[in-house]
Amino acid sequence: MVNQIKVALAQMSCKVGDKTHNIRAMATYIKKAKKQKADVILFPELSVTGYVTKDRTYELAETIPGPSTKKIEKLAKENQIHVIHGMIEKSAKAKGIVYNTAVLTSPYGVIGQYRKMYLPTHSVFEEKRYFRQGYETPMFDTPIGKVGIIICYDIFFPEIARLLRLKGTEIIACISASPSVRRNYFEILTAARALENTAYVAYVNLVGIEDGLQFWGGSRVIAPNGQIIAQAKYDEEDLILGTIDYTDIPRTETFVPTLRDLRPELFNELSDLSKKL
Amino acid sequence: MLLTSSMLKIDQEETKQKISRFIKDYVTKTKTKGIVLGMSGGIDSSTNAGLTALSIGGNRTYGLLMFEKETRNKMDVDHALQVVKQFKIRTIIIDITKLLGTIYKSIPDFLESDFKTKGNIKARARMLLLYYYANSKNLIVSASSDKSETMIGYYTKHGDIAADIAPQQDLYKTQIRRLAEHIGVPDEIIEKPSTPALWPDQTAEQEIGMPYEKLDLILCGLEHFMETSQIAEQLSVPAKTVESIKKRWLETEHKRRMPLSPKLAFRTVGKDFRLPYDVTVE
Repeated sequence: MVNQIKVALAQMSCKVGDKTHNIRAMATYIKKAKKQKADVILFPELSVTGYVTKDRTYELAETIPGPSTKKIEKLAKENQIHVIHGMIEKSAKAKGIVYNTAVLTSPYGVIGQYRKMYLPTHSVFEEKRYFRQGYETPMFDTPIGKVGIIICYDIFFPEIARLLRLKGTEIIACISASPSVRRNYFEILTAARALENTAYVAYVNLVGIEDGLQFWGGSRVIAPNGQIIAQAKYDEEDLILGTIDYTDIPRTETFVPTLRDLRPELFNELSDLSKKL
Repeated sequence: MLLTSSMLKIDQEETKQKISRFIKDYVTKTKTKGIVLGMSGGIDSSTNAGLTALSIGGNRTYGLLMFEKETRNKMDVDHALQVVKQFKIRTIIIDITKLLGTIYKSIPDFLESDFKTKGNIKARARMLLLYYYANSKNLIVSASSDKSETMIGYYTKHGDIAADIAPQQDLYKTQIRRLAEHIGVPDEIIEKPSTPALWPDQTAEQEIGMPYEKLDLILCGLEHFMETSQIAEQLSVPAKTVESIKKRWLETEHKRRMPLSPKLAFRTVGKDFRLPYDVTVE
């Protein structure tokens, strides 16, 4: 069991629809992160393709494994690093079905994937128009710790982070493509998810402009007590590293004992009432 | 939600930065040489010109001054020239009086007394010249429209809003005033009454029927899904006033969209053909 890891957040901008360019940019970030002794590097939501792909979503989708995951596997192996990245996943069973997916890759290959559960379809977002929602919240027990993944809008729903934590997750990786008018929400929610679950949160956001949407960056690593331990720049590309010390978690669990004080009976009521809203 | 002027407060520097990044990004992605925009000496075009010059440089910003004899006044010309000088913008001055005369004469049924239709010709003639320079110099046409006027359709369809980008279109007029102050647009320009200059002595607030301070709060309420009765109550204005603004907003949607077409096929332009602006085909 590992006590400490170094997590790198690659706050990149993407060229929409240009997977070759984006994976090449990811390779550069991976090399830089490895030089700084990172154990894992996170890339933003849909980092392989860019976020605003609209009707091109289908043509840019790939199965897992597929050409893009193979390239990223190679990079992970060459650099002996874990990678979490975003991509449009094509279902192996139904070719017209696509998911907004995060993939966790180790130096030995793809460990698994998480499919975004909450697809924003309001304001400028039209994810449900294209993507099928995910149904699973896997916790990955890896050499870099117990990792759970969420994607962007998922963070508005404390249930997923809580589920992941109850499965033993120590670090919640949130990959995101959040436009600038939503900055305040994410700054609050990333800290809240860490604090209420006494877990680390590693949040990486996109930068750049796609279809007039400006992504604000501001990637951050947050400790279980809500403290920001690494923070990237706003609005421009950046690579930051934060050290995660898993031995801090038990200490925080006793000081802010949210897990000890959980009230299971409320979950039944929540379940009932959420159906009757 | 309380409809007060604080609802319209903007972080001027952050807004300036966002617009600047937007302009720079679009020019870079389209591999064009710069931006061309019409300059009237009014607040919208002066602010847009200033922001553009601050983003990509005055030497890549082309300001077209297209005055004509019916609406030209010395103050507006001086103001436009003042902004040009201040932000070191490239300038092309065209007297469009002759061009307009030729158009009027070429229309068999032209009605001199129909001043609105005639005014629209002026705005469209300016668009024609802006696109001439855009095509010949490989430039982007930038519209100076604001959110207040865009929402109520207070502009000429295919005229002053016809452009490739509209950097400040998500800002109400009162917000543009704050941004103009921030980037140093002269006070006289910010404070003088706005006019589309389509006919002599036309002023925007007179035509709209209320000051922008009030209009912007009504529109802000509509933007935030407030009911007209709520808006009227909060702003202490008659419900009819708010309803008339809402009607104007809804009735002018055709000006803000692609031409309406019947749905006949699998995917249809302007309806369910949704493609990203950024194009890379591998």
